[in-house]
Amino acid sequence: MSEDDTIEPAGGASLVAAEYVLGVLGAQERREVERRLAQEPGFASEVALWEERLGGLADAVAPAAPPANAWSRIEATIAAPVERPASLWQSLAFWRGFGIASATLAAASIAALAYLGLAPGARAPLMATLGGGSGQPNFVAAVTASGNSLVVVPATLLTNDPRAIELWLIPAGESRPRSLGLIQPGQPIRLTIPPDLAGRTADATLAVSLEPPGGSPTGLPTGPVIASGKLTSL
Amino acid sequence: MDAEAPRSQLVAALARVAAGDRAALRLVYQDTSAKLFGVCLRILNDRSEAEDVLQDVYVTVWRKAAAFDPGRASPITWLVAIARNRAIDRLRSSAVSRRMEPIEAADAVSDPSPGAVERVELAQQQRRLAGCLEELEARQAAAIRAAFLDGATYEELAARMSVPLGTMKSWIRRGLLKLRACLER
Repeated sequence: MSEDDTIEPAGGASLVAAEYVLGVLGAQERREVERRLAQEPGFASEVALWEERLGGLADAVAPAAPPANAWSRIEATIAAPVERPASLWQSLAFWRGFGIASATLAAASIAALAYLGLAPGARAPLMATLGGGSGQPNFVAAVTASGNSLVVVPATLLTNDPRAIELWLIPAGESRPRSLGLIQPGQPIRLTIPPDLAGRTADATLAVSLEPPGGSPTGLPTGPVIASGKLTSL
Repeated sequence: MDAEAPRSQLVAALARVAAGDRAALRLVYQDTSAKLFGVCLRILNDRSEAEDVLQDVYVTVWRKAAAFDPGRASPITWLVAIARNRAIDRLRSSAVSRRMEPIEAADAVSDPSPGAVERVELAQQQRRLAGCLEELEARQAAAIRAAFLDGATYEELAARMSVPLGTMKSWIRRGLLKLRACLER
């Protein structure tokens, strides 16, 4: 009997996750693990935990500059229309059962316009639909005519999640998100845009993250980004 | 600049990538491509294979950025995991020459000067991991390091360390369980 048979079964699922992350499994076993990853959230969490545990081993790898043309090859590939596949968040429990019909989004858009007091056809405001990466819009946001505030209308429900929902604005060309404040899951809300950002909303990215009650303690997103989108003219 | 800045910038850039912002992907690339290329090159031991995989990695990041959860994973760990998985899959499916040099238990961990991002981000986690690896038998730790860095299978590791397959599996599995126990202390 070989020694490997003596490992206690208690290590089972976690051990397979660890072996996958470590990289010792063969092609067939890796495919089996990937199938489980897609179907078993608990197992996927176990793999994520092992990635965090062992990730530091990569620090022993010497960085190596990729060839100068590597970026242009990547850029060319992503410039082609890409089918953005369904992502993990579709499996997040709180989205379950709240599939978004396009009618809901349309209603939210009209609600946003109504809230702004704009008739359809008035001067095009800056608007964004904030989606979850799979083409599902979850919020609609619009900058008011004055440019000093932003109306956010949820197009879906977030339930059973005690975390606060915080809205962030990232001006075009910048990487640091700025908090616009907390939004409510079930009702439209008007948020003031800080004066230094008021003129920089065109093409800015809006992102929604889940945060501890009261909002991010650090001033930067700390929880998962559940929706994002760009502010553009209608 | 505060110590958390590189990490939060990477998190913000990934949020913009999730929104379809190509310029943000470029920022992520500039910040992480040398690390990820090093990871791919180490596993594949072949520049042109590593270049192909690197391209694949950032296209994957472009498509899957929305799945990144900063509450669960650090951005560099998430990116390294994508790179390692892509490189290992390529290694398993191709005729890339396998690395077969012996592994010595006494092999020093190579210690390149780490990039700014991982220096800040991994420093603490790093020290704990290094401490826990030291609690393992030297040959267990050497096998685990070689497996992670080279993406070697149990069979290859057994051959490289000249031990039976069952012994290698036992070393690594016991080593992993001990590591987990140590890291959770």
